[in-house]
Amino acid sequence: MKRSFSIYWFTAPALLVIACFFIYPIALSVQMSFTDFKGVGDANYVGLENYDRFVSRSRYMNAVWTTLKFTFVVVAMQTLLGLCFAAVLHRMPAIRNFCRATLFTPAMMSFVIVGYVWQFIYSPYSGGLNALLTAMGLDGLTRGWLGDPATALYAIAFTHVWMFVGYTTAIFLVGFANIPQDIDEAGRLDGASNWQRFRHLELPLLASSFTVNIILSTVGTLKTFELPFIMTRGGPDRATNTLSLEIVNNLFGSYKFGFASALSIIMLVLVMIVALIQNTYLRGREDNT
Amino acid sequence: MTLRRALSWLAHVAVVAIVLAMLMPVIYMIGMSFRTSTEIIEQPLGMPNSLYLGNYETVLASMPYLRSVINSIGITLAVTLMVAFLGSLAAYPLARRTNRFTRIVIMLVALGLATPPFVTITPIYVIFRNLGLLDSYVGIIIAFTALNLPLAVFFYTSFIGAIPKELEEAARLDNCNNWQIYWYIIRPLLGPATATLSLFVTLMVWNDFTYPLLLLSSPEKSTVMISVYRFLGNLNVQPDQLFPAAVLGSLPLLVLFVIFQRRIVAGVTAGAVK
Repeated sequence: MKRSFSIYWFTAPALLVIACFFIYPIALSVQMSFTDFKGVGDANYVGLENYDRFVSRSRYMNAVWTTLKFTFVVVAMQTLLGLCFAAVLHRMPAIRNFCRATLFTPAMMSFVIVGYVWQFIYSPYSGGLNALLTAMGLDGLTRGWLGDPATALYAIAFTHVWMFVGYTTAIFLVGFANIPQDIDEAGRLDGASNWQRFRHLELPLLASSFTVNIILSTVGTLKTFELPFIMTRGGPDRATNTLSLEIVNNLFGSYKFGFASALSIIMLVLVMIVALIQNTYLRGREDNT
Repeated sequence: MTLRRALSWLAHVAVVAIVLAMLMPVIYMIGMSFRTSTEIIEQPLGMPNSLYLGNYETVLASMPYLRSVINSIGITLAVTLMVAFLGSLAAYPLARRTNRFTRIVIMLVALGLATPPFVTITPIYVIFRNLGLLDSYVGIIIAFTALNLPLAVFFYTSFIGAIPKELEEAARLDNCNNWQIYWYIIRPLLGPATATLSLFVTLMVWNDFTYPLLLLSSPEKSTVMISVYRFLGNLNVQPDQLFPAAVLGSLPLLVLFVIFQRRIVAGVTAGAVK
């Protein structure tokens, strides 16, 4: 009989990769965040200076605020819109697959491509959106969507929602499909309208789909970098300057590796706090229904 | 009753119309790619008059498109192989044993899955520079493997968990060791899971922007998205360059999606729901 080595060794290569690419880098980030490392040369220990800089300059707190605002708008719009699509498509089996695939298509595209295409759609010079508004007689609404600090963040948020609403819809449709048929049937026999069945029977049973959708889209949106990087470079007037964009700018724009590391750690903490709050709240909500 | 059917029919038409409206930007992108700059400026919403291919000729002449497609495909294949092997290998004990060790491993994998890529990008850049892995295929393949591995481990764990244990017990009676059981019994059954996983990896490698942007600098090594980005740049993008480049950049995945639409949607949602 051949000597059989422990089955647990099978996890060793994966553990090594996780150690090298997640655990060690996080530790290194923490360490670098207390230095003035510039990418080359010596790193001097500077204590909490990087974190102090973060707290004391409004620019960086604003980046956190912008990131949170962006995430809130995207998650709210995407969840609501996805829920509407799923609720309607659930009742229309004939067109369900076609519509699900169509809504999903933008998620196949890269942020880079989507960013460029929508940048042109929003453009004040022969962009598609203004042309469409003019054609509909709504000239008053035309503007440079990405050039106006009041609309730029929302314009990017809309693009983000456009990309991923199919994803949310597909997850909600799985939730709808998991609702036992007899529950809907009972509601129908009791004379409940479409809306009543949705509001009182289906909505409470979709709690776990809400959890999955909200946590997934929140984690995905908090790290938003590509769309503002391509579409606005964080402008105008830093209205779309997200935390990720700030990290990359500090890293490769000004080679402040130490400060960029501090921002990364702040981002990690931010993501963990938001995910923890959501998880506690949403799971609790699931148990109550 | 006929009124009711007419209303239902009308509702279906309305929903399809709304859904197709969501697809407008994609259709717009394709339509505009066949028009000249002047046409777009004069009639921003017009459709192409003819299948004018001049834009594509210009773009293909100045963007290393084919080269970067080959790069993207090569990197995807290498990453898929590595992720499938390392992921399924680690998943086998995780699916078959439950104890303190496996719980700790699962926790570490979850940590990897939850870490935003921006948290680790600075140190990985520094580590790669010190190891001389910047601007190399090996470096980007390792980085993408690491990024995809946590998901793969979870994916295979739930898949292997559904494989009946009896298959292994028979092999164990024949004196097979753990490795032989993994290699001859488990691995050949993983085809469907690997197929779905490879779609995830393809999507990620093809579309990811940040990692190749920071880790690859020479144009002949860049992936498709980096080529598109380097070609278009940030300022004063001309529509007659933008749209053909955008179509070329997304076409392969859109075609893949049309073919594997059901599998991709089902795979992505199943991965999320589990």
